[in-house]
Amino acid sequence: MTDKAKRQRIRKILYWGLPVLAILTVVLAWVLFSASHPELMPGPVAVWNRLLRTFTKPIGRINLLGHAWASLKRVLSALVFAWAFGISFGILIGWNRTARAIFGSIFEVIRPIPPIAWIPLIIMWFGIGETAKVLIVFIGTFVPLVINTSTGIRAVDEINIHVGQVFGGSRFQILTQIVIPTALPHIFAGIRTSVSSGWTTVLAAEMLGATAGLGSMVTKGWNGGDMALVLVAVITIAVVGFILSTLLSKLEKVVCPWNN
Amino acid sequence: MEQLTKKMEIIGVSKTFFNEKDYFTTLDSVTFDVHEGEFLVLLGPGRCGKTVLLNIIAGLVEKTSGSILYDGHEITGVNSEVAMVFQKMALMPFKTVMENVELGLKFKHMPKAERRKICQRYIDLVGLQGFEKAYPSALSGGMKQRVGIARAYANDPKVLIMDEPFGALDAQTRYAMQNEILRIWGEEKRTIVYVTNNIEEAIYLGSRIVLLSQCPATVKAVYPIDLPRPRDMVSPEFMALRTEISNNTDLSI
Repeated sequence: MTDKAKRQRIRKILYWGLPVLAILTVVLAWVLFSASHPELMPGPVAVWNRLLRTFTKPIGRINLLGHAWASLKRVLSALVFAWAFGISFGILIGWNRTARAIFGSIFEVIRPIPPIAWIPLIIMWFGIGETAKVLIVFIGTFVPLVINTSTGIRAVDEINIHVGQVFGGSRFQILTQIVIPTALPHIFAGIRTSVSSGWTTVLAAEMLGATAGLGSMVTKGWNGGDMALVLVAVITIAVVGFILSTLLSKLEKVVCPWNN
Repeated sequence: MEQLTKKMEIIGVSKTFFNEKDYFTTLDSVTFDVHEGEFLVLLGPGRCGKTVLLNIIAGLVEKTSGSILYDGHEITGVNSEVAMVFQKMALMPFKTVMENVELGLKFKHMPKAERRKICQRYIDLVGLQGFEKAYPSALSGGMKQRVGIARAYANDPKVLIMDEPFGALDAQTRYAMQNEILRIWGEEKRTIVYVTNNIEEAIYLGSRIVLLSQCPATVKAVYPIDLPRPRDMVSPEFMALRTEISNNTDLSI
């Protein structure tokens, strides 16, 4: 009995300790590699100092947080539109056969095109201002939302629709009170993909010409041979991405409380 | 003698499914009556057409030919006086027990206070008081099907269709639920059309049994069951009837 409890405790510590150990190993590898090849990879201390310098000597008069916020703002404004249009469009082509017949095939053709491939066209049409960047991010976030939402709507078991019919629901009531809530976990998967895809796309868009944003920091560091700055941007990208996905899983627990 | 008003008449109902190359007939001119207030059991082997037949009676699936009379009038489409307890329970995982039970009344735009009162009565009736706010994932199989039964009753149906409601339950829970459904049927006299492939269950529950054949399903025989309730599964009369029906039943699978 005590033996079993002991083993359980060891296992608990193990599953807490292993992720920490994994991260420590990466950091250790980084320290060792940068110490032996300082010309290839700046070390943690250099990166930390470079990070502090983004506040004392801001790049383009914007500090690190300002750059992160610039990127985040673009993603969030694109997401507001993408969620509104992508989810509605996904519901439409998932629920309505005619709409699926009309738009489904067009969408299948557009779907595999990576969002950054549209950058030249969009720059030609809208210049290199905010509109163009938000639009590129919008394309990158719209697609996974439509796919996940329409798949989720179509995956709803027919028996659930039968329940709605037997209990006298109109087609609209069945859609809003049975089908959409049933598809919510799928829709949420789309939202999660849209956020990570938006975060990836905005950096690509910024690397091709922007005065603010984490993507522009990467380009700036790259052009100036300032690899510590590149790493500062990369780490910030990772941290913000991590915060976003944590917030989303918290949100999912609030929106779909039956799901855990 | 019980009243023998014909609540529903199923007349020559056939169903054939077609695809590009092939067709498959599941129901072949099925004819029987459903009497007002009775517990009618449709007993059939294996997986042949019973669910399709119920779906046709409920108006969920279109029939290929034949007609269905309700109170003497032919009906097509969903009948608001017919409710259903589903084989797969089909509860909404995102709704609590209370929200699942009040689904039909909510669709009818009944005010919340009023529908909560009605639903609470049926939640109590099926013995789920205290679980109103639980999600289905927290319930056992037997409790889930109780929710399905309360949901059907709360809609105030005249005819209640049950599609192998206890098929997914373990034997012990199944016996308990059979007695439960008889108790509820005694308290809330509604006409019940109950589908099963289990002979004991059919004889234990039914006022009458409609025996269906192997594919395509037709009506082989109709057995009125006059055994007093509660029925004794090992009484000689019960066993005799069991043997008689069993000998007339097509082998399944």
